[in-house]
Amino acid sequence: MKAPNPNRTWLAIRRDWDLYLMLLVPMCLLALFKYVPMGGLVMAFQDYDIFGGFFESPMVGLKNFQELFSAREFLSVLWNTLCISWYKILFFFPVPILVALMLNEITCSWYKRTVQTIVYMPHFLSWVVVAGLAFDMLSSTGAVNRMLGLVGCKPVNFLMDASKFQPIVVLSAIWKEAGYSAIVYLAAISAIDPALYEAAVMDGAGKLKQMLYITLPGIVPTIVMMLLLRVGTVMDGNVEQIMAMYNPTVYETGDVIGTYIYRMGLGNMRYSFAAAAGLFNSVVSFTLVFFSNLASRKLVHRSLW
Amino acid sequence: MKPAITKKRAIRRSPGERALAVAVYLILGLFSLSTLYPFVNIIAKAFSGYTPNVTGAVVLWPVEFQTGTFMRVLTNPQFFTSFWVSVRVTVLGTGLSLFFSSLAGYVLSRERLKGRSFLTACFVFTMMFSGGMIPNYILVRSLHMLDTLWSLFLPNVINVYNMLIIKTAFEGTPPALEESAKVDGASNPRIFLSIMFPMIAPSVAAVSLFLAVGYWNEYWSAILYITKNGLKPIQLYLLDVVNYASDPLSGTESTFAFQDAPEGIKSATIIVATLPILALYPFVQKYFVKGVMIGSVKE
Repeated sequence: MKAPNPNRTWLAIRRDWDLYLMLLVPMCLLALFKYVPMGGLVMAFQDYDIFGGFFESPMVGLKNFQELFSAREFLSVLWNTLCISWYKILFFFPVPILVALMLNEITCSWYKRTVQTIVYMPHFLSWVVVAGLAFDMLSSTGAVNRMLGLVGCKPVNFLMDASKFQPIVVLSAIWKEAGYSAIVYLAAISAIDPALYEAAVMDGAGKLKQMLYITLPGIVPTIVMMLLLRVGTVMDGNVEQIMAMYNPTVYETGDVIGTYIYRMGLGNMRYSFAAAAGLFNSVVSFTLVFFSNLASRKLVHRSLW
Repeated sequence: MKPAITKKRAIRRSPGERALAVAVYLILGLFSLSTLYPFVNIIAKAFSGYTPNVTGAVVLWPVEFQTGTFMRVLTNPQFFTSFWVSVRVTVLGTGLSLFFSSLAGYVLSRERLKGRSFLTACFVFTMMFSGGMIPNYILVRSLHMLDTLWSLFLPNVINVYNMLIIKTAFEGTPPALEESAKVDGASNPRIFLSIMFPMIAPSVAAVSLFLAVGYWNEYWSAILYITKNGLKPIQLYLLDVVNYASDPLSGTESTFAFQDAPEGIKSATIIVATLPILALYPFVQKYFVKGVMIGSVKE
């Protein structure tokens, strides 16, 4: 290929100067609110003084990171974050696939539409609303305890018991997002060639066999991609969900990286320490997202970018 | 998804298949009911009397029906303030975010643009790496935006995900349109506003609805940046009410009289805070498949 003529490049830019002008404000906002904070991460290597700012705070090297990794609390929130993500992969991830496979089997169209309308809806509610509804269901007089009462169990105090917090987080995430997440799989199912089903019927395959040998293999690339993307977000910890649902009695199992950074940074004003935790989180997340996207592109030829 | 074929396949069914079909209908039915039940329950609670709410006697319909709690929730001054904060944040945030996403999406969709892939990469990179909570807080603080309405929508006004949806939509428009406008001597902003933007109206509608729902539901910015009661958005107010209801003796001071059960107040507040979303839902539903699919996956 010929190297681009600098003159021609310049001409092309000048001809579309107003196009670049249109990009100016969005670019400035992007730089200010996304890239400036990245530069601000330098505070993770400082003993940041909120009144002195970046230029007057002393550099302390890796001191904040040493403190971070020797803090037992941090290791415990890291563990909690990974546990919750792992349980979400284990228990949440398969549910939308099952929902999509089941919706696909429904031939009665009004029933299908009604189910879809209902199960997609919670996705559009805020985590605060979902937390409010969950507390309602799980309170001492709530629906869950009522049902436990019917089978002769004593009422359980779900909300103040640290050992039950993680299951509650996973279950409420399933309640909120499982239906909506099925859309991706439904779209993948609708892209499967109908001729495959016709051929299978000719060969005498029943519904179950069609599902197992045509539908499921047909959506495997989508499943692999979604799984890899989920692996890329294990450090995420869903801070908005946890923040709305936890209370001091469940910090032991419920505190995740995001809530920890919030409490250390804004609660205890340990800005540099919290920024160090944030930087660690961002770097690990970025690495995970990068490699899971790469894996997705290699394995199923689909990726986010 | 081909109904004709599905019907044909449905004709002959072995007993095993029939059992499978029944199971599928039942499981999805139960899933739907378990999604619906919490709503039915809080509607019932919002209109129930004090004693039944406290003893947990309310299940599917109101016991000792009353509308006092609901009226007191609606006329609570802090509720009104917070609702108005959220309305303003939603309108301003959606408007600005849509405008800037469209500008960026349009420019980055022009293939002749020099430096296009680099500029796009600048946007996409921020989806994967961020400075994080504390540097963001320091930035908002240095801009003197703490405890302002701006802090609730300006820091996240550039939404790269939505920008990519719009960019994809612009890429799908016929190039001839732009060329003919060029021949007529129209400038780029002019082409964008009067020709290209109306072409992608469906995607714009979808993105606006997603943005509006997002801004309405947002409370994390408020947790970080807002301390004044006068600027608390509805979700943060609701969080206070929810915490008050699960532990009425907790620190949150209640502006409610003791004549209402905390459960009743919580239920009524959840209902009013969710109504705007439920009002939008039929429109959102029309578009969300598109939102999930476009811009998210590249083959």
